[in-house]
Amino acid sequence: MTVRSSLRAGLSVGLIAILMVLIGITQLSGQLVRGWFGLPSATPGAWLILLLMAGWAGSRAYKQAKATSWGAALAAGAVPGAAAGLLLGALMWGIGSLLANGTDLRQWLAQLSPANVELLTLGLPPLASALVILAALTAAGAAGAALSFASERGQWGAAWAARRQGLGAKVTSVPAIEKFLARPNARQIVLIAGLALLLLLPLGVGQYWNYIIGTIGIYVILGLGLNIIVGMAGLLNLGYGAFFAIGAYTVAILTAPEPHNIGMSYWLALPIAVVVAAIAGILLGIPVLRMRGDYLAIVTLGFAEIIRILLRSDVMTGFTGGPRGIRSVGGPELLGIDLNNETFFTYFILVGIVLAAFVIYRLQNSRVGRAWMAIREDEDVAEAMGVNILTYKLLALAIGVGFAGFGGAIFASRNRFTGPEDFTLQVSINVLCLVIIGGMGSIPGVLMGALVLKGLPEILRQLDDYRMLAFGALLVVMMIVRPEGLWPSARQKNELRVAEEELTAGPGTEVVEA
Amino acid sequence: MAMLEVRGVHTYYGNIHALKGVSLYVAKGEVVALIGGNGAGKTTLLNTISGILKPREGTIWLEGERCDSVPPHDIVRMGIAQCPEGRRVFSRMSVRENLEMGAYIRADREGIERDIEHVYDLFPVLRERRKQVSGTLSGGEQQMLAMGRALMASPRIILLDEPSMGLAPMLVETIFDIVREINQRGTTVLLVEQNARMALTVAHRGYVIETGNIALEGPAAELLENPRVKEIYLGENPAPPA
Repeated sequence: MTVRSSLRAGLSVGLIAILMVLIGITQLSGQLVRGWFGLPSATPGAWLILLLMAGWAGSRAYKQAKATSWGAALAAGAVPGAAAGLLLGALMWGIGSLLANGTDLRQWLAQLSPANVELLTLGLPPLASALVILAALTAAGAAGAALSFASERGQWGAAWAARRQGLGAKVTSVPAIEKFLARPNARQIVLIAGLALLLLLPLGVGQYWNYIIGTIGIYVILGLGLNIIVGMAGLLNLGYGAFFAIGAYTVAILTAPEPHNIGMSYWLALPIAVVVAAIAGILLGIPVLRMRGDYLAIVTLGFAEIIRILLRSDVMTGFTGGPRGIRSVGGPELLGIDLNNETFFTYFILVGIVLAAFVIYRLQNSRVGRAWMAIREDEDVAEAMGVNILTYKLLALAIGVGFAGFGGAIFASRNRFTGPEDFTLQVSINVLCLVIIGGMGSIPGVLMGALVLKGLPEILRQLDDYRMLAFGALLVVMMIVRPEGLWPSARQKNELRVAEEELTAGPGTEVVEA
Repeated sequence: MAMLEVRGVHTYYGNIHALKGVSLYVAKGEVVALIGGNGAGKTTLLNTISGILKPREGTIWLEGERCDSVPPHDIVRMGIAQCPEGRRVFSRMSVRENLEMGAYIRADREGIERDIEHVYDLFPVLRERRKQVSGTLSGGEQQMLAMGRALMASPRIILLDEPSMGLAPMLVETIFDIVREINQRGTTVLLVEQNARMALTVAHRGYVIETGNIALEGPAAELLENPRVKEIYLGENPAPPA
């Protein structure tokens, strides 16, 4: 049984390895590793990623087999390694033979240039290279298992965990830091220093990074708003982007010279945008909030598409500029000074985030927050406790989409443009993702989620073509490793604990108490 | 005047005629048991009283005030608290937060604190677990919490729906002891139960509901001796002919 499952794991790893070779991830890894460590060739990097995968499969197989001796551990690890090696070796054998016959594989797969293939064949004849791959991956699988075995047996794992715990204590035991922490106002000093750093940041990083920080910041505001709706009140809203669009278009229509030439001041248009978005939320909410769960999600999804299609339809061209959007959206100015630049917007967004976080923090710990939490857990019982469900759901929706309107107002003015294609379904999904990745119901979680979701793709730019692939893989890994989110609220952790207890104990089991 | 009076109530689920003219009353200070089998209409009646279902005919009165067209979230403000079937505590909130949620309609901070202490006195295990997430409590503890939460609204009458469901026999006795104690402290109780023997032991009076009609009513002690109740609800064989 365990042999079969570890064989299966090995075959999957082999297939993934083949895929990685065929689409060129191995040589990308080779180039990256060469770049980072200044190596003369890309070969070690290309092998590294394959060996790591085989080692991981070996370590997992060892854990499943629960081997108790060195021999058993090595054998358990070698099985998936060999299986993966067999697959990959066969592939390289085939590729090597074809290349040797002078076939140009690049007409089918652009990545299979002779130079790239040589990274893995090491210039050996086809059969020999296949055997080398088989041997290397088998050895890597066994090594992975051996490492796990050794770490468990030698209690390295425990020692490592203890050291990690001790690290925090060690940092605070440095005399200078200890002395500092003993001061009664240590917290405030750290807080002020952090704020000062945040305030100086936009001045020091230049236009490009200001733009990135601003984008992340707008998504933080959106995430904070959606967090009220989804995380706190438990209403699954997939149409959040629509309200972002409503905020953006309200500001655009009120401030831009075309199509209406109203020319309102940005500072007046901004609150109007927030209010218009909130009213739109209430108008949608009155009929829709009687639905629950999936139905609510589908209706809001439809609403977002309706808004987007309306915005680009010819019918609305006279009012919203149609597919061309609205240009020259007005920006903020103060006492005659034009503030329409990236640096100012970064500050403005930061202030917006602090305000939003403060409002939400206060709400969370208020009567309203309690009512939302109760609705999220059990609508019927909440109602029986005296919570007027429709009112509180509408309130959550109105406040949440008000933030979307605020974000949209900043977005349109910062880009000086707004068009229907800025508000695809992707926006709604992205915001929902960042709330989930960060940890539902958690304010710092939203911050982390936005950093990851909007920041990671920027950092991953050096992977160019594989950027979104790596990003997707990272998201999957994150949800496996930290299902409760990167920075969950204390409550969210509780939820997983409750879910686990229910799984292990079962609701029907009852212990008789004396 | 009765604390709670149900007069000729007809309730439908769509076209299904679930309650066919039910009348009953609960006097102030009483424990009244409503017993009946599955699908007899016990929970339907409770849901009608608490405003979740609207009667198509008939009226419901709470100390002379009509309450059959009041929305569910205002029913508790009138003084009717529910302890729902299957406990349904807010499993992700702590024990204390559940109790605070029960007092949602109240604004008197000191009164709420005092009542939380009362609940803790009534259920000492809840005091021990006050910070624990209530989803991790045992079934019996959750039942106690649900009852405590209903009491926190400081109701005039409390509706208890199947408090013994799914509990071990020893716990069932504890729960019924507490029902008696709640009543002795001055709360009127309408108790809906399948466990007829326990319910009628605690109650002053009882009603038997069958397929949407009140089939029998009377003092609890008499119902316990009623041959039909004995046969159908207490599971005793009729005495063999001498």
